[in-house]
Amino acid sequence: MEGKNDSGKTYDVVIVGAGIAGAILAKVLGNAKKHVLILEAGRSTSFTVEGYRSFLETFYRASAKVPNSPYPNDPSAPQPDVLNIGRIEPGVPSASGYFVQRGPLPFASDYARTRGGTTLHWLGTCLRMTPNDFHMKSRYGQGENWPITYDELRPYYEQAELEIGVSADVDDQRFHGITFGKNYHYPMRRIPQSYLDHYLASRLEDFAVNMPGQAERIKLHFSSIPQGRNSIPNAGYRPVGHTGDNNIGQRCEGNSSCVPICPVQAKYNALKTLKKVDPDYVEIRSQAVASKIEIDPDSGRVTGITYNTYGAGAAPGPLTARGKIYVIAAHSIETAKLLLASQACRTSGEVGRNLMDHIEIIVWALAPEGDPIGAFRGPGATTNINSFRDGAFRARHSGFNVPIGNWGWSWSCFSPGSDLMDFIGRSQPVLGRDLRRRLYDRVSRQMELWFELEQNPCATNRVTIDPEYRDSMGNFRPVIHYGLSDYVRKAMPVARRISEQIFRRIGAKDYTHYNSTDPCYVTYRNQGFFYRGAGHVVGTHRMGSNRFESVVNDKQRTWDHDNLYLAGCGNMPTLGTSNPTLTMAALTFWAGENILKELNR
Amino acid sequence: MPAEPGKIPAPIRNIRELHAHLQTALEVEHSTIPPYLCALYSIKDGLNLEAAELIRSVVMEEMLHMILVANVLNAIDGKPNLTHAKFVPHYPAYLRHSNRAFVISLEKFSPTSVDTFLKIERPGKAGAPVERGEYATLGQFYQHIKKGLKDVCKANKYFNGKASKQITSEYYYGGGGDPIRVSNVDDACGALDVITDQGEGIRNSITDGDHQIFHQGKELAHYFRFKEIALGRYYTGKDTPKSGPTGTALPVDWNGVYNMRPNPKTGYYPQGTDLWVKSRQFCRAYRDLLARLEDGMNGQPERLIAAVAGMYDLKYKAVALMKTPCDDSGMTAGPSFEYVPPNE
Repeated sequence: MEGKNDSGKTYDVVIVGAGIAGAILAKVLGNAKKHVLILEAGRSTSFTVEGYRSFLETFYRASAKVPNSPYPNDPSAPQPDVLNIGRIEPGVPSASGYFVQRGPLPFASDYARTRGGTTLHWLGTCLRMTPNDFHMKSRYGQGENWPITYDELRPYYEQAELEIGVSADVDDQRFHGITFGKNYHYPMRRIPQSYLDHYLASRLEDFAVNMPGQAERIKLHFSSIPQGRNSIPNAGYRPVGHTGDNNIGQRCEGNSSCVPICPVQAKYNALKTLKKVDPDYVEIRSQAVASKIEIDPDSGRVTGITYNTYGAGAAPGPLTARGKIYVIAAHSIETAKLLLASQACRTSGEVGRNLMDHIEIIVWALAPEGDPIGAFRGPGATTNINSFRDGAFRARHSGFNVPIGNWGWSWSCFSPGSDLMDFIGRSQPVLGRDLRRRLYDRVSRQMELWFELEQNPCATNRVTIDPEYRDSMGNFRPVIHYGLSDYVRKAMPVARRISEQIFRRIGAKDYTHYNSTDPCYVTYRNQGFFYRGAGHVVGTHRMGSNRFESVVNDKQRTWDHDNLYLAGCGNMPTLGTSNPTLTMAALTFWAGENILKELNR
Repeated sequence: MPAEPGKIPAPIRNIRELHAHLQTALEVEHSTIPPYLCALYSIKDGLNLEAAELIRSVVMEEMLHMILVANVLNAIDGKPNLTHAKFVPHYPAYLRHSNRAFVISLEKFSPTSVDTFLKIERPGKAGAPVERGEYATLGQFYQHIKKGLKDVCKANKYFNGKASKQITSEYYYGGGGDPIRVSNVDDACGALDVITDQGEGIRNSITDGDHQIFHQGKELAHYFRFKEIALGRYYTGKDTPKSGPTGTALPVDWNGVYNMRPNPKTGYYPQGTDLWVKSRQFCRAYRDLLARLEDGMNGQPERLIAAVAGMYDLKYKAVALMKTPCDDSGMTAGPSFEYVPPNE
């Protein structure tokens, strides 16, 4: 049901979602003096000093410090939580959380529905994709080709890196064909690499590993990670600190809680971009949950976004916002859901399909005795082993990036809490000074490597809707069908063989063990693994070069509706081996340019 | 050097005297930091957030003042020294430049300590000449140095143009204002003006002038930030020194504080006891921090990065002392900021 147009105003652009994509568009369009309305389902709590502090306090109190632990779930705009991941029995969906998971395997990532979106709990990694990532089909016969190339996207990468405020040195980042413009430099210098990074790199640089199924050995190469996190600025750049107090967060302080929350906002989040939008042109409406894209059946043009409000001052019924152009930038899964609920973009049948994530195969070990490597210091990861991001093997199995985890065994084993429980839970508990000594000895030697396997697009991995599953406002809950192809599974033992060679080489004791009772336990040729989700959710409304195989064109405009654009990782036809936010931000600057051209035509 | 009691300060006549005055300025700027840090550390975690933020912002600017003075000193071949035995005052102490009107102590956050902070940052009367005796305000002291700079460094004599010893915003951040690269008399006077403007405010105003110099948002001069705490109310943009603060209430919980015994000394505790060791460790940490700052101000700016980690370490050590009862009086130990020789 269409609601009344509350303000009677027709905006130039109506955007759904106040995450990084919505924020970038609002900034670009507002600066060009276009009137913009953003509808955000979540609350605006994060925008005030007190509100952000309340998130911190919630995080400090939480016993399980998972990505969404600082951000309260609101039944009117519910969000997924990794704590709700459970084993899926055949035919019985797991629906204890917001997602309805039909399996056969659980989708293992989440997102935040609040102003600023999931950038509030992202790690901040800002890798560019490799040129070959854009041509997976023609190069390796896998996945899809993008309708744009690395070179075409490169200027927009630069805009995205400036907006996010990326810290990195160009010379560290030239590999796998990645190139930079002449004299280009990142806004800030690279974030210092951890002691563990240096420890591993000094022992392993150029160490050649044997890769199963591959004739020649592959040399390990280490590179610092470009990060949306403040460090020493290069000339002409001024770091953006805490959105409530710019004196705070001017540099990363090593609080080591980037995921789920940077206490000082030295890490980029979309609130920083939202603070910069021109308030004379951009209006942000919080607690406004879009329920339907209204479409004129004759012209196929979008005529409005119908939404409901909640909380204090909520309107009694649905409202409809009107604009000349509309952008859905609500996160891959939410955008797909809204398109499905509105019966929009139906030509290709691709809406909701090709749901992808990086499949994290974690391995963990203890450094040799007497070799504390300083776990739990600094940002979550500061160095990648990038040797496996591209290569001929991608014709057979997933490529992968391999960050070195700085936070001990926290992701694999919930350390250090689990270590404490281990020592005091024994029949002869370890206590007092002895406990302190043994905890220090173990925890300070913990290391993890994260093998982030590129998931390939599969039509059967998809988001659907089902009238049986709705939230408290009557909106659809995402129903997720998900599994892992052999292309991905084949890479799991490969990752394991590589990690075994690495640990052996440095004399670390391998403690990796995949418990078969884990809900995310999978096997390949009788070898078992568990995986974790990276939160790199892409593919659900992909771009392409024809209307029958994709939802948006290279301009990020939907094929089916002239005045409807989509923004967000859902536009990405393949995932690549990089964390997708930077690429998505670059695509969003490109989309903003295209929207401006259309408005000015 | 400060004027002798009873005499009008003699003009600065040569480069040696100018260096000495600037070294004194460095010590004066530093001397307020331990008392401010004591008050800041004494506030229990999560309480008095607004007041803590105001004090923190003042400390950051005092650090900036030290850097500005060091940049001036380095521009004319001086050598900032932060590690000599008398660099840190023995608290309770008079403010180095002052006319000895009041004493500053290492104290917890309280109405008394905030009152002292107000005295430290008290604005001078516009255009008041240096009086008989010592300088009544910091502003007068810096006026004297500026005059000396103009007299001694005619036609920018002595300015060496060495960029390597100038600390810039690459290495200093997190407070109102930026470091200024000093290469001539005008830069030097500008840098010293920032110090007095941030402390006392610009003439007949409550703001500190950063918005004029650095194009930043308006900030209150230190005196008025402490006034907000003392009166429990924020200033608004329209307020003046006369009107007082008319903004929203600033909640202050004087009980949300560790009850630190004023002016703690390591010697209060028997040698070798836990408190004695911790107190000494704190002093060593402070010594090391000053040494890093000194390196940073003498051509190794990257040492300032290590100083940031040193500041965290300092806080942990200070708070550990403040959580420990010093005797049966209900009071706790605290950081003493005493000199420790470099080899200990």
